[in-house]
Amino acid sequence: MASTQVLKSRIRSVKSTRQITKAMQLVAASKMRRAQEATKASAPYAEAARELLTALAGHMSVADHPLFVQRPVKTRLLIVIASDKGLAGAYNSNIIKAYTEQLQADDKAKIKNTTIAIGRKAAQFAARIKDTQILGVYQDLPDRPDGRELRSILDSVRTMFTSGEVDAVDVIYTEFISSINQAVKLIRVLPAGHDAMTDAGGATDAAYEPNTAEVLDGVAYRLVGAQIFQALLDGRASEYSMRMIAMKNATDNASDLVDDLTLVMNKARQSSITQELAEISGGVEALNE
Amino acid sequence: MNLKLITMLGVKVDQEIYELIAPTSTGEIAVFPGHEALVTLAVPGVISVRVHKGDPDSKLELFAISGGIIEVSQKSIRVLVDEADHGDDIIEAESRAALERAIELREKAADQIELDKAHALVDRHMVRLKVAELRRHHRR
Repeated sequence: MASTQVLKSRIRSVKSTRQITKAMQLVAASKMRRAQEATKASAPYAEAARELLTALAGHMSVADHPLFVQRPVKTRLLIVIASDKGLAGAYNSNIIKAYTEQLQADDKAKIKNTTIAIGRKAAQFAARIKDTQILGVYQDLPDRPDGRELRSILDSVRTMFTSGEVDAVDVIYTEFISSINQAVKLIRVLPAGHDAMTDAGGATDAAYEPNTAEVLDGVAYRLVGAQIFQALLDGRASEYSMRMIAMKNATDNASDLVDDLTLVMNKARQSSITQELAEISGGVEALNE
Repeated sequence: MNLKLITMLGVKVDQEIYELIAPTSTGEIAVFPGHEALVTLAVPGVISVRVHKGDPDSKLELFAISGGIIEVSQKSIRVLVDEADHGDDIIEAESRAALERAIELREKAADQIELDKAHALVDRHMVRLKVAELRRHHRR
């Protein structure tokens, strides 16, 4: 049986690990709440853009706009959203799994693939593989993104699509369904689609200045931006909630381990006391004889 | 009429107002209740909001905005912008310093991407500074 000294120091180290994981759990929980609120707050923006688009669709043929043109897909741009840091459960590995699947599918279909990696973990993975060409890497995005960091991604995506350099742009991210349920999702942001809604909003008979085409351009651009921004925020919220759960599990495991080790240590101490007592009484017996 | 100022970060303003002055790609427009329905492109600049009829200029609410879309209908205005900062949140000295830094960045830009970024930054801080100056001017 291990000596009580060794056990004591192990318990101490597990306890301090537990303190750290507990702290990380609480930090992730509060960040998750904030990310969740941000996701909610940005929804009206996308909604308004979508409504405007629907209204515009009643005025002109939206499908002819450069951002809506459907071409046979020969090249594809993937935007992969992962995190900068690990210790978030399966967050990054789920994303990377989905990403690999996409790359394999492209490979089979002879589609050329380029990647924009958001988050250090995605960048590290993309840098290691040969199937894709890295267009850009974005890491250390602020905790509360305000959309400005997306501007350069958005601009390069738009130029590449309208110039015909890529025929489709997809985003792989983790959708935040609830704090215990997240799913990896792939959305196509370009060519921009729009589903024909019946309710066209209030601006159907409005005047468009300078003209419908330019307004449509502005709306479509913002809609694409809003989609990517939402994906980023959803990814954030998912990352924190998965980290929170992972850290909660780690804390629970550490507590179990502390309990087990304490039991072993108490047993060891008890048996050494019993042995000492036996030796003492054995000695007393010997003296009395 | 109701004004909604919507940014990516959330709804900044949702209230009844009397007048809105906004920069658009075809020039500055002023919108009063009963304006014809209109959808137009906003350019980076200053949005001024008069909440009640007869409010003096000193009570104008000012916002620095980046580009976006303005949708006017009979009873409401919806402004969809990438960014909007309320005049009260902008400190003049800070934005002046930021503008100088941005100009410096623009001069030092090594490639097109950096230059574009610097240009956007210069535009942004110029608008913010303008809001701060206007505000000081009005309040005096």
